[in-house]
Amino acid sequence: MARFHKLTVTDIHKTIRDAVVVTLKPDDPAAFDFTQGQYLTFRRDFDGQELRRSYSICAGRDEGILQVGIKRVEDGAFSTWANEDLKTGDTLEAMEPMGSFFIPLEPGANRHYLGFAGGSGITPVLSIIKTTLAAEPASQFTLVYANKAVNTIMFREELEDLKNRYMGRFNVIHILESDAQEIDLFTGLVDEEKCAQLFKHWIDIQHVDTAFICGPEPMMLGIARALRDHGLDDSRIKFELFASAQPGRAPKKAGKAAKAGNKGTEAVITLDGASRTVSMNGQTSILDTALENQMDAPYACKAGVCSTCRCKVLEGEVDMVANHALEDYEVEQGYVLSCQSFAVSDKVTVDFDQ
Amino acid sequence: MTDMKIEDYLAQGGKLTNPSNVPARYRAELMRLMATFVDSELAGAAGFADVINAGPGIKERIAAAKIVMEKTDNADKVLKIMGEFGANTEKYANHHPWADRLPRDADIGTNRTEGDMRLAVFNYPLAGWSDAVVMNLLMGLAVGVQMKEFTGISYAPLAEAFREIAPVEARHAELAAEGLERTSADNRQASVDYWWPRVAASFGKDVSTRATQLEAYGLRKASNADLREEWAATATKALEKFGLTAPKG
Repeated sequence: MARFHKLTVTDIHKTIRDAVVVTLKPDDPAAFDFTQGQYLTFRRDFDGQELRRSYSICAGRDEGILQVGIKRVEDGAFSTWANEDLKTGDTLEAMEPMGSFFIPLEPGANRHYLGFAGGSGITPVLSIIKTTLAAEPASQFTLVYANKAVNTIMFREELEDLKNRYMGRFNVIHILESDAQEIDLFTGLVDEEKCAQLFKHWIDIQHVDTAFICGPEPMMLGIARALRDHGLDDSRIKFELFASAQPGRAPKKAGKAAKAGNKGTEAVITLDGASRTVSMNGQTSILDTALENQMDAPYACKAGVCSTCRCKVLEGEVDMVANHALEDYEVEQGYVLSCQSFAVSDKVTVDFDQ
Repeated sequence: MTDMKIEDYLAQGGKLTNPSNVPARYRAELMRLMATFVDSELAGAAGFADVINAGPGIKERIAAAKIVMEKTDNADKVLKIMGEFGANTEKYANHHPWADRLPRDADIGTNRTEGDMRLAVFNYPLAGWSDAVVMNLLMGLAVGVQMKEFTGISYAPLAEAFREIAPVEARHAELAAEGLERTSADNRQASVDYWWPRVAASFGKDVSTRATQLEAYGLRKASNADLREEWAATATKALEKFGLTAPKG
C-alpha cells in the first residue's frame, strides 16, 4: 500500500492568475522517481477534516526536479489554499507517484505523438512532451491545447520555449473558446467535429502512433470518438480524466446512538438508490445482513483486506472488528468495511452508494 | 464547458483513469471484477503448481512452471491496481489458502466458496497431467474470450493491464494445446467431459442481475450466454484436432 511522505516546497510561482507551479524536494527522493504523466496525491487537514487531492507532475523526467501544477477550482479547499497560502519552505505530504498515463519510451523510435489538453489538463501532457522530445530524438509531438482565452493558457511561455528548442519536432495548436483567432478553425470547443476538421487540414492523423487526451469529460468523449473514427483503437489512445468534480466528501460524521438493547437492531441499508429496512442481530455483519436479505451488496475477500465492501455509516454505531484496508481519514468520515462491521446501536443506517 | 455527470460520461463510453474519479458503486463493481480475476489466477496457479512434477518430460515441466509463474504475475498486475484503491496487497495475497480444492465430485454450479472470489471451476482438483492439460486448454480458451471484454473495460489502467495479460494467457492455451498433442492418455475424453460443463459455468448464469448496471458502467459488453457460445464454438474446434468431442447439452 502506498504511504505518505514529506516534501518541502522549494519554489512556488504563478503560471497564470489562478494556477501555481510548485517545486518540491522529497525527504525520500527514491520514492519519487516518477514516470512522465504521473500524478501525486496530497493530503492536508482542513478544519479537522482530511482532504486528499491529486495533481499531475508537470516536470520532465530528465529535468531533475519534481514539480506539480495546481489550478484553483471554485470552492476547492486544497487548490485555493495552494494558490493563496502555500509558500516556499512549507512541508506537504504526498503519496508516491501513481498513474499510467504514459507509454514506454524508446530512444531509437521515430514516432508521431498527438496530445490533447484541456485547461489544466496540460500538466501531465507537458511532462510527457518534455520527456519524450528529450528521450526520443527522432520523434515528433503535436499538441492541441484548448483554453477559454489567451490569459488562461497555463505554461504558455514554456511551450513557446519548447517549440524553439525542438524546432520542427514540436508543434502547438491553440484552440480558444472565446477569443477570436486569425483562423476560424482555431476558435471554439475541441469536440468531435473540430477534431475531424483538424485531421483534414492540419494533422496527419494517418501517421500518428499514439494519442494522449487529458481534460474534462465531454472533451475526452468527443476526441476519443474522432480518433476511433480515424483508425486509432483504444490501445493507441492514452486517457487521463480531469473530472470536473471529484466525488464529494461530506463532512458529516456518523452520529453516536444509544447502546443496543436486546431487541436487535433495525438497519436501513441503501444500495443502488434503493433503501431497505431490515432487522439484524449483533452477530451478523452488515454485509451478511444485506446478503441474507437478497440485496446484492458488493464484496470480495470477506477478510477486511480488499475494501470492495466499503459502505458509509450515516446513523448509529457499528463495531468494525478488523480493518486492513481503510485508512484513518476514511474511518473518520464514517466509512466501514461492511464484512467486518456489526451493529452496536438499536438503529443503524448505512449507504453503499456514497 | 459544462459539467457532465460521471454516469453519463460512462454510458457514452468514457474512460475513468484514477481512483479519485470513480463513483462508489462503480468502485465496488470494479473491485469485485478485479478480485475475481486475481483470486482465479492465484487459485489457478496454486492448483497447477502441484502438477509440475507430473509433467512427463522436462519440456512439459518447464511449460507448467512457466504457466504457474506467469499466472501469478498476472494476478500481481491486477492486485497492484486494487492496491491503488486501498486494498492491502500483501495481506491479500496470503489471506486465503489458494491451493485448497473441493472433492472432485462436488457440484457447486456457479457458486463461489466462502472467503474468495475465484471462479467456481478453480475449486475442483486436477487429476494428473493429462487432466490438467485438458483443463488448461478449455479454461485458457475461455480466458481468451473473456479478455476481449476485459481489454475494452472503462477503467483505463485495468484495460491496459489486461492488454498486457491477454497475449500471455493466450500463450498458455497454446502451451496446453501443444501439451495435449504429446499426451496419448486414453482418459482424455473423460477429462473433457468432466471439465467442459465446469468451464462453461465460469461464464456465469444466463440471467445476470448485474448485467445492465455493469454495461452502463462500461465494465462489460457481451452477455454471459454470448460469451459462452463463442467459447463453445472455439473449444469444439480445438478439441476436434485431437479427435476429442465436446459433450452434448
